[in-house]
Amino acid sequence: MKDNFDAIISRNTLFWLLITNVAVLSPLYQQATLWSIGICAICFVWRVGIYLGKVAAPPKLLVTSLAVGAATTLALVSSEIGLLNALVNLLILGYALKYIEMREQRDVKAIVLVGYFLIALTLLDQQSMLNTLHLLAVVIINTGILVSVYQDKSNKIANLGFSVKLVLHSLPLAILLFVVFPRLGPLWMVPNIKSATTGLSDEMSFGDINKLTRSAELAFRVGFENPDGSTLGPANQDLYWRTLVMENYDGKTWRQDQSIKTIQRQAYFQKPQREQAVITANNRKIEYMVISEPSHQKWLYGLDEAFSDNNQIVELPDYRLYSLRPIDQRMSYRVVSYPNNILELTLKDNTKQLNLALPPNSNLKTQALAQRFAQDYPDPQTRINAMMNYFAEQAYYYTLSPPSVGEQQIDDFLFENRAGFCAHYASALVFMARASGIPARMVTGYQGGEYNPQAGYYSVYQYMAHAWTEVWLEGQGWQRFDPTAMIAPQRILDGFDATFDSQSSYLQDSPFSPLRMKQYPWLNELRQQLSSLDYYWSVWVLGFDEERKQQVLSKLLGDVTSSKIALMMILSFIIIALVIGYYAGLFSINRNDDPLNKRYNLICQRLAKKGITRPQGQAAHDFANHVQTTLAQQHPAIAREFMALSTAYMALKYQPLTALQTRQHMQQFMRLYRTLLLRLLRS
Amino acid sequence: MSTQHANKAQLGDNNPSWLQRLIPRSMAKRWDRWLSKRLPPKKHITLSHRSIFILPSGFGLFWMGLIVLLYLFGTNYQNNLVIGLSLLLASVFHTCIIYSYKNLAGLSFNAVNPPIAYAGDNTVFPIMLTGHSRDKYHDTSHQQICLQFSQQRHVRVKQLQQQTLATVPFTHPTRGYINPGRIKVSSNFPLGLCRAWSYVDLDIHHVIFAKPEACDILLTSQQSDNDSQYEHGKLRPGVDEYKGLRSYVEGESLKHVAWKQWAQDKGMLTKEFAEPEGLPVWLTLANTSGKDLEQQLSRLAWQVDKLSQTQQIFGLILGQTVINQHTGEAHRIACQTAIATYQAYTNINPNFSPSSTNQNAEVK
Repeated sequence: MKDNFDAIISRNTLFWLLITNVAVLSPLYQQATLWSIGICAICFVWRVGIYLGKVAAPPKLLVTSLAVGAATTLALVSSEIGLLNALVNLLILGYALKYIEMREQRDVKAIVLVGYFLIALTLLDQQSMLNTLHLLAVVIINTGILVSVYQDKSNKIANLGFSVKLVLHSLPLAILLFVVFPRLGPLWMVPNIKSATTGLSDEMSFGDINKLTRSAELAFRVGFENPDGSTLGPANQDLYWRTLVMENYDGKTWRQDQSIKTIQRQAYFQKPQREQAVITANNRKIEYMVISEPSHQKWLYGLDEAFSDNNQIVELPDYRLYSLRPIDQRMSYRVVSYPNNILELTLKDNTKQLNLALPPNSNLKTQALAQRFAQDYPDPQTRINAMMNYFAEQAYYYTLSPPSVGEQQIDDFLFENRAGFCAHYASALVFMARASGIPARMVTGYQGGEYNPQAGYYSVYQYMAHAWTEVWLEGQGWQRFDPTAMIAPQRILDGFDATFDSQSSYLQDSPFSPLRMKQYPWLNELRQQLSSLDYYWSVWVLGFDEERKQQVLSKLLGDVTSSKIALMMILSFIIIALVIGYYAGLFSINRNDDPLNKRYNLICQRLAKKGITRPQGQAAHDFANHVQTTLAQQHPAIAREFMALSTAYMALKYQPLTALQTRQHMQQFMRLYRTLLLRLLRS
Repeated sequence: MSTQHANKAQLGDNNPSWLQRLIPRSMAKRWDRWLSKRLPPKKHITLSHRSIFILPSGFGLFWMGLIVLLYLFGTNYQNNLVIGLSLLLASVFHTCIIYSYKNLAGLSFNAVNPPIAYAGDNTVFPIMLTGHSRDKYHDTSHQQICLQFSQQRHVRVKQLQQQTLATVPFTHPTRGYINPGRIKVSSNFPLGLCRAWSYVDLDIHHVIFAKPEACDILLTSQQSDNDSQYEHGKLRPGVDEYKGLRSYVEGESLKHVAWKQWAQDKGMLTKEFAEPEGLPVWLTLANTSGKDLEQQLSRLAWQVDKLSQTQQIFGLILGQTVINQHTGEAHRIACQTAIATYQAYTNINPNFSPSSTNQNAEVK
């Protein structure tokens, strides 16, 4: 009688394993190396062969040697592809190899568990709503394997249907847990996904920003949280999202200074300190939340002067925000900005030296021009204003495709080409300011933002990348000067889109970008609606943190106390369990739906009270005879009526009847039932 | 209680699992007592919340491990979706508990008369399982139900129809009255994360016949006779005694047709009559050789069967018990029962304590 339940994998299960293998592995194609994909494909084809009965299971030696070979290769290339990627590949290979040599149900269960883990790995860098729905479907299919193990008499569709049911029944509780479960900071350092960085880089030469203006990719989104509840941020010309500060110039490229790089590198162990904001009544403050798209870099975006109390973010001395971990997935963080703060009132000597330094013998013509400015305007404030005006007064042009420059970049730009974009103008201004004795530096980041009125947030795209200058003035600290505003005021006042034709800039390389819909009002509305949905997803799911949790709970419960939360949890738990129980059919057990049976049983129950019990499984006919003989003396009426009732009951239940006969029998049954019940109740 | 342990020791190949061995005996006893109070033996049992227990299975523990792992993973990568996945898996566990309860709830059990069994034979106790779920829930209720007597092999009902007869295996090494005790009813449905189980005691009582052991047939008759032993008590077709029924052959006398059976739609049967040939004989314990009582009884059992097979008339004398000469199946059962229960108080049901345990020594 011993069954081989544990030893045999049913055919339904084998089928679902085939489907799941593809479903789980395909979303991981980006992380998988080429030969992992190859091995997976071989394993899959072999498994299909086994399923169709064409090939036998592979010999153990082959699988073992493949596993050892794969692991060794992975260990060798792990430094190249990054530790996390190596681990992902190891799991993928383990999954594929276990998959091919599975023999028992224990193996199937192992495969299912690893499958869930692989889904989690996929979620690390695929977090959009669509991807999440897709992976939810994969979770359902993966669960379907287990269902098919325990429901092996049903067909495949029933397996899948039950799996869908199980997962959907589980969603409400999962959502509830998601809201109330504590969110902790990272507990220990973990390896990161190694992938190409996007967006700004910490070096800038003339061509770099230009490349970004060709990209319609989203860089980050900002939701302003004003005290009055409005979501409108400052005017477009004040939206300077400061990202990088570059102080070193070698005549070609702007770079971050070594000192700040060192601080960045050591940030994890030695948190850099910055003076906290002076909080006075008239010091304006702007609060907002930034949701950064993965850039695989660590720098963050903020308006001046930005502070964040996120424990994953440090505040650098050059007034930037810096993440402790690379932004490999969407990251949201809260920022408080004080736009009226003075940045660095007293400049340290070495910083001053750094921000006055020029490469030797470079751009002599520009230096001469700066000397002239210095003579004409001895006051630094008026001098820098004069330099800004110089760009406006002279014939300079703003273009995204400037002519190339030679060795002496700034000379060529200022005196020959006279055409360029933000990087050119900012470089020239910093160079001139430094040459005339004013400390100045280059700042890169993003300028502007597209407001989505539906969800109330700003989208900042890569093409909004910008470069401007900061000049240090006595008593005012670092002041922002944007020479581009002098050449193309539209660009700063109304945003990038107002100045440039999108077709020739950021849409040039992306023919399918949804931003193309901008031309058609209704399509544009649709695009904005879709992106609002994505925004809500980012804010309420991906960026759900302790603060959001408090928001939600206080909305639900008023003031949040732990006893209230506990009560809510218990109540919801019970309600959810009852609802699941209802859908599982828990409460339809033992309920006799047949009115005929119900009435007949009721009569039997009454008879039982009189001492005549119907043994389990006794035929109605036999029982009627039994009642007849027992009650014939004392209650002949009951005996007679019960016999008639039983006859009608048996006829209705077991005899093939015409509609008319059925009605007649039914009428008779009901009449007898009523009289008999009354009689039994009375006697 | 000592009986139970004695019997456990006899079932050498069915060692209790390491987990069961870890539990101290006093605890196991208390658990037993509590169970028998909570789930008393009944002829008809329907499972409900009173009788269903649910605990995570080994795989369920791994599943919980995965939940913790994913939560840590999601926390370290600050990834809400991974945390969400771990919470979803936790929630699936919760759903499974409800479904696994529902899988057993409403299931009713009725014992069906078990077949005759000899000591040491692999026999079965047929149990009628009746489901109480609507068709709509056919695929999600009463699946993969495993039935097992304590220390015995199991049988699995993969999917319950409205009524399913499950034959629960049972092996008992010694003859005598037995009460096989509780049936453990368990299922890992739907995902194997938790195991729902219950104990069903259907108050089954049965007699295990002594294991037959081949030997010479030693018949004792009151008178000595010249016929060979095998001829004694043999039946030949005749008219004196009703012997049984066999199917009707065309042309036979209608006088012998069993009309009563025909009226019950059992088909045309002919009543067979026979008359004994030679003199009736006796089987006696005292005359049966053997190194001990058990062997003697085994040999007696074999002889009873052998004689019944050849349709001989015989009687049985077992100490004080005397069964008069007769033949046929009913007679055989009566004799075997008498042999099986001769000085036997074997019982593996812990609820049933024999008054004197020293009898056990004999029952080996």
